[in-house]
Formats: sequence, structure tokens, C-alpha cells
Amino acid sequence: MMNRREFIKVSAVASLSSLVGGCRPSVRWDRDAYRKPATSRVAILEARSYQASLEDIIRHGLHLFKLDLKGKRIVLKPNLVEFDPKGVINTHPAVIEAAIASFRSLGARDVVVAEGPGHRRDNEYLLTASGVYDVINEHRVRYVDLNTDDVRLTKLRSSLTDLRQLYIPETLFNADLLVSMPKLKTHHWAGVTLSLKNMFGIVPGSIYGWPKNALHWAGIHGSILDINSSLPIPQFAIVDGIVGMEGNGPLQGQAKQSGVLILGEDLVAVDATAARLMKIEPRKIDYLEIADRFLGNISYEKIELVGERLERFQQDYRVIENFQELKVLTG
Amino acid sequence: MIEAALDLLVGVQNEDGGWGAVKGKRSNTESTSFALMALKSFEGKLFDRQVTAGLQWLLEHQKDDGSWFLNDASKQSSWTTPIALLALLSLQDQKEHALRAAKWILTQEGRKPGWVASLLVRLSLVKKMTELDPYLSGWSWTAGAFSWVEPTSYSLMALKKLKRSLAGTNCEERIRQGEMLIYDRMCENGGWNYGNSRVLGEALWPYPDVTAVALIALQDRAASEANQTSLRALDVMMREAPSGTALSWGILCLRLYNQDVREWKEILEKSFEKTRFLGETKGVALALLAFGNGASLFRV
Repeated sequence: MMNRREFIKVSAVASLSSLVGGCRPSVRWDRDAYRKPATSRVAILEARSYQASLEDIIRHGLHLFKLDLKGKRIVLKPNLVEFDPKGVINTHPAVIEAAIASFRSLGARDVVVAEGPGHRRDNEYLLTASGVYDVINEHRVRYVDLNTDDVRLTKLRSSLTDLRQLYIPETLFNADLLVSMPKLKTHHWAGVTLSLKNMFGIVPGSIYGWPKNALHWAGIHGSILDINSSLPIPQFAIVDGIVGMEGNGPLQGQAKQSGVLILGEDLVAVDATAARLMKIEPRKIDYLEIADRFLGNISYEKIELVGERLERFQQDYRVIENFQELKVLTG
Repeated sequence: MIEAALDLLVGVQNEDGGWGAVKGKRSNTESTSFALMALKSFEGKLFDRQVTAGLQWLLEHQKDDGSWFLNDASKQSSWTTPIALLALLSLQDQKEHALRAAKWILTQEGRKPGWVASLLVRLSLVKKMTELDPYLSGWSWTAGAFSWVEPTSYSLMALKKLKRSLAGTNCEERIRQGEMLIYDRMCENGGWNYGNSRVLGEALWPYPDVTAVALIALQDRAASEANQTSLRALDVMMREAPSGTALSWGILCLRLYNQDVREWKEILEKSFEKTRFLGETKGVALALLAFGNGASLFRV
């Protein structure tokens, strides 16, 4: 099995190959891609189980941010990549349900649930098996399959890959806030998969396929950054860390009870905090380290934590052998 | 169910003659092709006007090189081309357009590892991440990407239907390579997912819809052990995950393997009553194909 050092070597040689092939752009981003705030607020909220009053918890969490939600159109983007009855792959439907109710109660005009599953094309199966169908049916919420949504070819605001442009679903252009709702998980290629990596799901499969292999060829870390730097509307994150996944995530890892929700407007800061919660060093995750230069904050000192103390929920999430060195926390 | 599904399908046809993924969405090649096939399989129901408009959409959107883009917003030839080809073959007098599409399909090939990756495979660094043969030649979802099971299966169906008319081309060799790729990607206990049977040493599970599509593409190898194992896996998956898409593709596949599908049709009907297949054009069209004589349109 390839270890991390070999993996880095492979990546380096692959980069060299691209250079030999010519035309690999240097790492850069447009001026309008820069949105790193001076400091970022992240909320850590206790939620012991999916039976807890999650609507109250999320609504309280949203109040900790100065979000103007009145009359706004909200897109909730859960992580619904696959289904395994024995696993904990997806954002739990109870969290999605609570988010729907919370945003509505705070005045949102329209709330839709939207996802572009990365492996399976069968929405009906994924929605019914995961329990999300019952939620959207009961709350009369529209579901948008981002894989088959109408699309708009969009110039990317950063060039961490050679992609330069991507097709982005029209649903995002017609909304006011995109809420990334990932599961707290380790990831066997990217190290962690949280609110930034969750945005792979907005890339339409009908153009890029199942899996969205063009992004893998372009580079996972660079693709995460290029997608997130180019989203047409503001974002918010609600991480489902009530039960997370450790080990061989994002599909075949083991469940890990953490009893927490993590919220914030700066997705980079949210993901850095979530990584720390798993005792994973965010600076060692390539895309987070680069994101810190222009998209958001990962430094502990630049993140204002509200709600519960991080240490109270910090747990050792196991990672696969390739990523053992991610586990060194440097603060 | 048939009447309701037909009403649904006819009701979501766009003014331009095509169909979108769901009501109100821009017409696209995949949805239009499946909708056309579904309506054509119910010839007695007099959908001539809808079929003519749909065919017109398809013909107007075929590119000079024989391919189709996904839709008007897309700027690249797409994996939907073999599906459009199958739709054209279900209609009369469209073989010339279908042959142009087939010739385009023969020019396409999924990406293979470059020299650096090849070197790494030789050094046994990469192959262990997945356990597939990256040098087999199939078809990708999008240009410049890897070959996967579903687009390869559609291309195989299309080429197998037209191979007699493609004498003197590399059609037979591409079919052989494509079949090898699909068998290479089969999951441990039969069936297929998107195209990866193992990652980091752990077995991945198959999907019923992709398994059925792959088995349809391999229908002329029905007796092979891999096909028979996968047919048994399909039966289990259809019981465990009875969505409209899974059941419909499953029924189409089982009919081509001469199996009794009466029980599955009953389950499909109940499934439609529950979700109406989310109003997705493809799901509704596939269900109609499964209920009617649609399997014959996929016979190679």
C-alpha cells in the first residue's frame, strides 16, 4: 500500500509531468477570490444524539452569526454520496430536517435541498434509503439533483488546477446562501472531508460523470480550492459531527460518536476546527493549508470559538496508514 | 401506472420538442432519447406528434462529427451520444444518423495513465490503490477522463447493434476491449458499481442499475460465469434497493436474459405509486420501457 511519503512523491512527479507537458499555471487566484477575514467565528454546539432537539440547537447556532435570512433563498447541500445500511456515510436526515425548520423559522423565503451524488445516479434510491425523502416530503421541500440541473459555464476565480472553468448548477445562481452540510469524516484521498470537500457535490455529473473523475485528474486538493473560490453566492457550514466517521472514509470507515455540530460562515475555519476536533492537524491538509492564504482562516488564534470548548469534544479519529502524519497537532 | 406515467412523460415535453431531466429543465440528449424510446415502445397510443418533435430535437442537435452535446449549455461532445444512437435506431429511417454517431463513438477512448503513472504502476506504487487494469480501453463520461462501466456499456450496446454496418473499422476490436474492461471492473460477488471493485484493499459494493446496464451490454455472452453470477447479484440488489431506476433497468435486463419479470413489474408499479420516480424523465421513461416492449430496443 502506498504510504503518504510515496503519495507525495507521486503527486510531485505528476506535477513535474504536467510541467514537462507545459502550461501548468502557477498557483494564483483572482482578486475577487480573496475573502479571508481578519478573524473567523466558529460555533461548537453540543448535540448528543439525533433525537436531541436539533432545531433549537441549530437555530441557536444561527443566532450566533449575523445572518440576514429574511426573504432569502437557501440551498442546503448535505453530503449524500452513497448509501450503506451498516455505515454512517451521509449527513443524517434529522440534521437536514432541523436545518430546514431553522432557516424557515428565521424568515427564509425558500429552502431547497440540493445534492449531486458522486457515485450513484439513482436519486430515488439514495433519498429513500437514507431517509431524506421522508424529510423533504413531510416538509414539502424541493429537492434539486445538482447532477442534472441546468448549468452555466463559469470561469474559475483561482487556478490551483488546469480546469480554468467549470459548469455550475443554475440553482446556485438563483439562491442567496449555500449551506454546506457535510458529515464529520476522514477521507482516504484528501485526509478529511468536510464543508469544502462537500462542494464536489455541486459539480454536475451529467457533464463530468459518476464519479466526477475529471476533478481527480485535475487534482483533488486543487479542485476543492478552485470550486470553493468560484461559488457564485455566500456560504455557510453546518457540520454533522453527532456521529462521525473515522478510518477509511468517506465510505468504509467506522462510526464515531462525537455529539457535536460545528457552524460557521468561514468554511475554511469551520473545517480547520473540525479537523482539530478529530485531532488532525489542519496545516497538514494540503487544501486547507493553501486555503489559509486566501479563502479563510485555519490559525487557531484567528478563529473565535463560541459555544462549547473544542477540547471537550476533541477525540482521536483514526486515519488510514497513509495519513498518520496528519495526526500531529501543532496548534 | 402506464397511463399515469405516459401522461407524466408527455406533460413534461418542452416546447422545443426535447425533454429535460425533470419538468422545467432545459432539454437534454439523455432524457430526450429515453423519452423517445419509451413513447415509441407504445406505438398503439398515438404519440406521433410528440415523437416527431422529439426526433426533430435530436436531429437538430447532432453535431457534424456525429456526436451530441448534453444540452444547449454544454460545449462538448458527450457520453449521451450512444444513447441518442439507440433512440434513433428505435425509429424508422434514421440509420444514417446512427452510423455517423457510431463512427464518432469509435474515435473516443477513455484516458489511460501517462508515462509517469505507467512508471509508477511498474514500480507497484499506483496499482495497489485500486485493483483494476488502467490500460484497458473503454469510454469515459467526459473527454480526457478515465473509462467507466456505464458509458462503456452504452457504447457497447450501440456498436454491437451496428457492427455489421461498421465492417472495415476497428469496431470489433473496440467491442472486445470494452468487454474486457467491464469484466475487469466486476465486483467481488458479481455486479458492477461505477467501475471500481476495490479501493485500498477493501471491496466495494455493486449497484443494481449499473449492473443491469452492464449485463445488457454483455447480453451476447449470457452463458458466461461472470454474467450468471452478476444476474444472481442483480436479483439480490433489486430486492434490497427497489427504486424505479433499479427495477426498470433490472426488468429490461432480465427480459433480455429470458427471465420471468412478472413479480418485478408488480413491485415497480408500487414503487411508482410511492414516489412517482421523483418526476425524473429518465426514470419514468425507463419504467415505461420496462412495462412495455422496451427490452427489444436494447437487444444487440
